[in-house]
Amino acid sequence: MKKFIASLVFIIVGLFVTDRIGGVGMNWVYEHTNDVLSPKLRYIHQEIHEDVVLMGASRCHHHYLPSILSRTLGMSVYNAGVGGSNNIFSHYMVLCHILARYTPKIICLEVMPTDYCQQTDTYHALSFFAPLFGYNQAADSVYQLAETYYQYHISHLYRYNAKASSNLLGLVLNRQVGNDNGYIPLPKPNPFPKELTTEDTKNDIDSLKIRYIQRFADLCHERRIKLIFTVSPKFTIVDSAHYHILKDIAKENGIPFLDYHTCRLYHDHAEYFKDSSHLWDEGARKFSQEFANDLKNTIEKQTTESEEQHTIGYVIACS
Amino acid sequence: MASYYFYMNWEPVYAILLLTSTIVTYFAALSIGHFKEKRKKKLCLVSGLVLNLAILFLFKYYNFLASNIEEALLASGLGIHVPEFHMLLPVGISFYIFQALGYSIDVYRQTTKVEHDFLTYALFVSFFPQLVAGPIERSRNLLPQFQQRHRFSYDEVMAGVRLMVWGYFLKLVLADRCGLYVDAVFNNIEMHNGGSYLLASLLFPFQIYGDFAGYSLIAIGVARVLGFHLMENFRRPYFACSIGEFWHRWHISLSTWFKDYVYIPLGGNRSNKTRHYFNLMVTFIVSGIWHGANWTFLCWGSLHGILLCIEKACGIGKQDYSGCKRLSHWAVTFALVCLSWIFFRASNLNDAVIVVSGIFCNMGIPNVTFAMFSELCLAAFAMALLVIRELSDEFSWKWHISKSHYWLVRHLYIVGMIAMILLFGVLDGDQFIYFQF
Repeated sequence: MKKFIASLVFIIVGLFVTDRIGGVGMNWVYEHTNDVLSPKLRYIHQEIHEDVVLMGASRCHHHYLPSILSRTLGMSVYNAGVGGSNNIFSHYMVLCHILARYTPKIICLEVMPTDYCQQTDTYHALSFFAPLFGYNQAADSVYQLAETYYQYHISHLYRYNAKASSNLLGLVLNRQVGNDNGYIPLPKPNPFPKELTTEDTKNDIDSLKIRYIQRFADLCHERRIKLIFTVSPKFTIVDSAHYHILKDIAKENGIPFLDYHTCRLYHDHAEYFKDSSHLWDEGARKFSQEFANDLKNTIEKQTTESEEQHTIGYVIACS
Repeated sequence: MASYYFYMNWEPVYAILLLTSTIVTYFAALSIGHFKEKRKKKLCLVSGLVLNLAILFLFKYYNFLASNIEEALLASGLGIHVPEFHMLLPVGISFYIFQALGYSIDVYRQTTKVEHDFLTYALFVSFFPQLVAGPIERSRNLLPQFQQRHRFSYDEVMAGVRLMVWGYFLKLVLADRCGLYVDAVFNNIEMHNGGSYLLASLLFPFQIYGDFAGYSLIAIGVARVLGFHLMENFRRPYFACSIGEFWHRWHISLSTWFKDYVYIPLGGNRSNKTRHYFNLMVTFIVSGIWHGANWTFLCWGSLHGILLCIEKACGIGKQDYSGCKRLSHWAVTFALVCLSWIFFRASNLNDAVIVVSGIFCNMGIPNVTFAMFSELCLAAFAMALLVIRELSDEFSWKWHISKSHYWLVRHLYIVGMIAMILLFGVLDGDQFIYFQF
């Protein structure tokens, strides 16, 4: 039994030491990699200062060019979209990290049905943000929903699990080519998407997600940040009620809603799309210019209305 | 109790099935032991077999048969609806029923003694490490171990821990990383080309091996920590130089079960050539169907049966090969096994045909995103570790770290493997593939 206890102690202590040393090593990799996500997380955590911040998942990451928006708005812009972070829990974590640094003037959140619908792997994307564990209590609290809080609390190595391979590969391969303040262009596809498919409207609401959307809106309201919900073009057909739940929330909270999907923007331009959900670089440039003009008008309209003590409803960008 | 608690954690109500199978085979075996007349013994055995196989048929094969009968009736102009049976497939049902049946047959053949203590027998059927995915144990190996007194053994515990750690590595790092690409291709066949099909078809053998051999090692390791020795289930199957040899190395507990309880009772190889080939085909078709109620499994089993018949007819695999001859036989065997796995993995026969024809007729550069490429690099790293370990086992090389003479090296191996699992493992991945069988 003594031998067993000695082995057990050695394994536990050895594992603890390896975990801490490995955590330091992987943190170095995280700090130096040229992969897509880690440089963005580093920027959000250590440097972000822009007036306008765009948030969302891959559709945000690949659809909005900060340089184009910046020219039109006359303000600095950063694209904080994170590919794969496909629901409000991830966006809420990013918002917590941003607000821990400073208060931006405007936040544009690219929303999707997954922000309020039930999913099979609801908390999967939270692991992407685990390298930032321990820096922000409000953001870390979301891990308790995923039941991974204590795992991240105990193991430093585990915090780098989600992107370990791409971070290591990012030391030798540069994936930041074409980076425009957080925007990374998607390459021209071969072939372009051929057929417009129909997307069903989902109504299986996740009440916890609705609460987090409200929290997101409340946090922005508390810090006097202008929040705008957006939906960029998709190469799918949906009915006009597709985003009705999010539009209702927007209306209740006085949040402008710029919807370019239900009105079928670019459905006559399949050549702008990489696939049914994403624009490639050329489409993103066209869209960014259009969005920049609409955003400018929306901000101006909102400013005028708030001076007149009105609450703004929601806006359909291309009717 | 612990075994039933373990099983009920999944779906409590299905413990009734486990208990039913246990009671049926327990009393069948008692009756076989009680009666002197062979006719009565046989009747008891057949009753036990029929009741157990009826449970298996109802939960695993009824819906498949019903839907096929309905389609056949529809094709012949009779639109008759055959009712379906809406119940989840109980996890591990094929494993514990086959283990219980094996015991009944062994008692009938008098190769094992009747177990009179119900609790000991119930433990044999439900022993939790191997309950849900094997190895399918033999009564003559496991039952006597339950009757022995076990003392704590440091060496056994540490050997068990090392097996478990390697098993987890195979599952979480190798199988689940390979699975990310395999699933991406096989679940979206129409989005990919021949290059992607080929790459996925080369990765799937490693996924299924890592998944199933990983589970077996964990089961064997857990049992060993508790002081029990379970049978070996995999012996480096991809080093096989013939299909026959592959089946001596792959899922050994099932292939020997089929040999002992299906192939040999049919006459085995002690009959004329035609009958011998027929016996082989029947055994492999049944083995295919054992895996699941789908035409893909039937094709997979049949394909192995046909390949084995061809091997027997050509006299392949009878002698030991060396040098280039061994290498060429290994390459052909590996390619054929990979080809057959396509039928095992595909969702339906149509997909399997698309994949096979795509590999030969629509070759292109595999569709691999950067994110997927980085996952594949990790999978390649895990594969490299597997190959090194299996080479050293196969050729008895001395530099096996986990079995090092040095205490420190053996312990650093455990720590290193756990750290690698923490960093590179897919820790929110799917369940084990073989749980569904």
